[in-house]
Amino acid sequence: MSASVARWLIPLAVLVVVGLVLIASSAYQLDEAEQAVIIQFGKPIGDAVTDSGLHFKMPFIQQVRRFDKRILAWDGEPEQVPTLGREFISVDTTARWRVVDPLLYLQSMKDESGAQSRLDDIIDSVVRDKISSTELVEIVRSRDWHIEESELDSAGIGEKEKMILQREVKVGREQLERQILITAQQGIREKYGIELEDVRIKRLNYVRSVQVQVFNRMISERQRIAEEFRSKGKGRSDEILGQTDKEVAMIRSEAQRKAEIIRGKGDAEATRIYNEAYSADPEFFAFYRTLESYGQSIGKDTTLLIGTDSDYFRYLRRIEAED
Amino acid sequence: MSRHGPNRTPFDELADQIDFEKAGRMLMVGLPIAIVVVGLLTSYYTVGPEGKAVVKRFGSVVDTQGPGLHFKLPFWIDQDHFVATERVHKEEFGFRTIEPGQHTMYDRNRDFGHESLMLTGDLNVIDVQWVVQYRISDPDTFLHRLRNQRETIRVISESVMRRIVGNRLGSDVLTVGRVEIASLAEESMQQILNDYDMGVHITAVELKDVTPPGPVKASYNEVNEARQEREQLINEAERRRNQAIPRSKGNALKIVAQAEGYAAERINLAEGESARFKAIHEEYRGGREVTRRRLYLEMIDKIMPRVGKVYVVEKNQTAPIPLLNLGQESALPLGKTKR
Repeated sequence: MSASVARWLIPLAVLVVVGLVLIASSAYQLDEAEQAVIIQFGKPIGDAVTDSGLHFKMPFIQQVRRFDKRILAWDGEPEQVPTLGREFISVDTTARWRVVDPLLYLQSMKDESGAQSRLDDIIDSVVRDKISSTELVEIVRSRDWHIEESELDSAGIGEKEKMILQREVKVGREQLERQILITAQQGIREKYGIELEDVRIKRLNYVRSVQVQVFNRMISERQRIAEEFRSKGKGRSDEILGQTDKEVAMIRSEAQRKAEIIRGKGDAEATRIYNEAYSADPEFFAFYRTLESYGQSIGKDTTLLIGTDSDYFRYLRRIEAED
Repeated sequence: MSRHGPNRTPFDELADQIDFEKAGRMLMVGLPIAIVVVGLLTSYYTVGPEGKAVVKRFGSVVDTQGPGLHFKLPFWIDQDHFVATERVHKEEFGFRTIEPGQHTMYDRNRDFGHESLMLTGDLNVIDVQWVVQYRISDPDTFLHRLRNQRETIRVISESVMRRIVGNRLGSDVLTVGRVEIASLAEESMQQILNDYDMGVHITAVELKDVTPPGPVKASYNEVNEARQEREQLINEAERRRNQAIPRSKGNALKIVAQAEGYAAERINLAEGESARFKAIHEEYRGGREVTRRRLYLEMIDKIMPRVGKVYVVEKNQTAPIPLLNLGQESALPLGKTKR
């Protein structure tokens, strides 16, 4: 029993092992996200395999080189580039790309890090060219840049800057990105078997030294606006106070005018009444009124010089009746 | 099979110890059991409540399953990949939350200015912090259309936000533009991710702190203060105006009333005096001479006691004669003198 079992068990085991090794070296799985090129003695054989699933190849002599089928990311280093207006800015770009021709890709790039560094060269130089031939406002703003007059007024912006702000954008950020993409794309499919999906400006900022200047400019601009607010407030305050003074003067003088008229009327009426009464006997009025006046005007400190021929002292001289 | 005799090697010893019959039997029974056990263990999978599983057969997607217990082909022929489709993922820009909660903790040690500092359309610098929330809407395309998914979402968000902020005035971004910027960014990001066919749905883009950059902040506050100051100056002037106008109106009424009082007084006085005059005149006509004298003497009566000095002057005489001297020693032995 033991000998017979051993006799067929060992060949069977050998057969199984050989079979497994053959399967393992000829069958291969390709993931949904992968594509592959079959290589025989270092030479690519046939078309690239792009369908996922179970595939077979010649065992041992053929090898599978896998590549990602998905959209891949490229992220550049920030570059310091002067714009057309000579402002130094730091530009950080990003791109998405795909391997579309794995065979060509394998031959020209070898692997992904090769492709990434090739893309560094291509995209960086295109970005540099485009940025340095474009005005900063054209890079920052988009094509549909439009500022309402009222918005400018409420922001407290001076006339000179208004002109710059209202200038029409000819290129704009999106158009610039598209131009960079189109230029960078040229020939890379034919040369490297890859395709650029997009190139975008991820970050855009002033370089540090320029940034300090911009901050200073922003501070002085704010201070100017603050000063404007203050003086506008002072001006408006003065206007209100002046207007108030004017109105007060108008009200007072109007009252005085009315008062004088009223007084005049009163005086006139009084005069009329006096006239009416006194004109009945002007001579008696003069006498009567004069006596009254004496009564009022002669006081304690008055010194009277009275002639002896006055009516009062007449009797000091003689007492007999005159007639 | 085993050799006997003096030429035995250690291998022969080992072979002697293996009971082939027993080993063969064990293999015949043990191997199928092992295969069945492994097969059972690799033929099911469970999917958690917050997502879906993508099932791949030899690397090809064959199924997508929701939460629960599911079966698959064993021996790693089918493989399941879990994707949290129900969970809302969050990306922060310009800040990082360390520990969310009632008092959310933020990372204050690191500077994320490189993420949040950007240029506005008027070429100023602004600090915009924002959050992007998204869900994975299609696990299959999410896994297989694009690599570096999270990084791509971040990069696209930064690019889109800078483009939108760059197309506006800084003052607009700081104040009224926030809501519109967020919705534009959401729309624009979704558009780009759809172009990649990424299987991601942006649920929200929210602007957090939008401020002028650090060194400039103080001057922005100064503008706000100046604005307040302007309002205060105007209010103060209005207050003084509101004080002065009613007061002067009241004063005007007073002036007019005083004038009216004066006029009334004058008229009344005139009427009174003329009535008195008329009355006296009426009587005077009865006895002219007597009345004249009486009036004259009455007047003398009234004024003489008051008068300081009275000099009686003789016609053609220069030095006046003091008649009454009430102030000092009398020149005439008349009245009460000290003597």
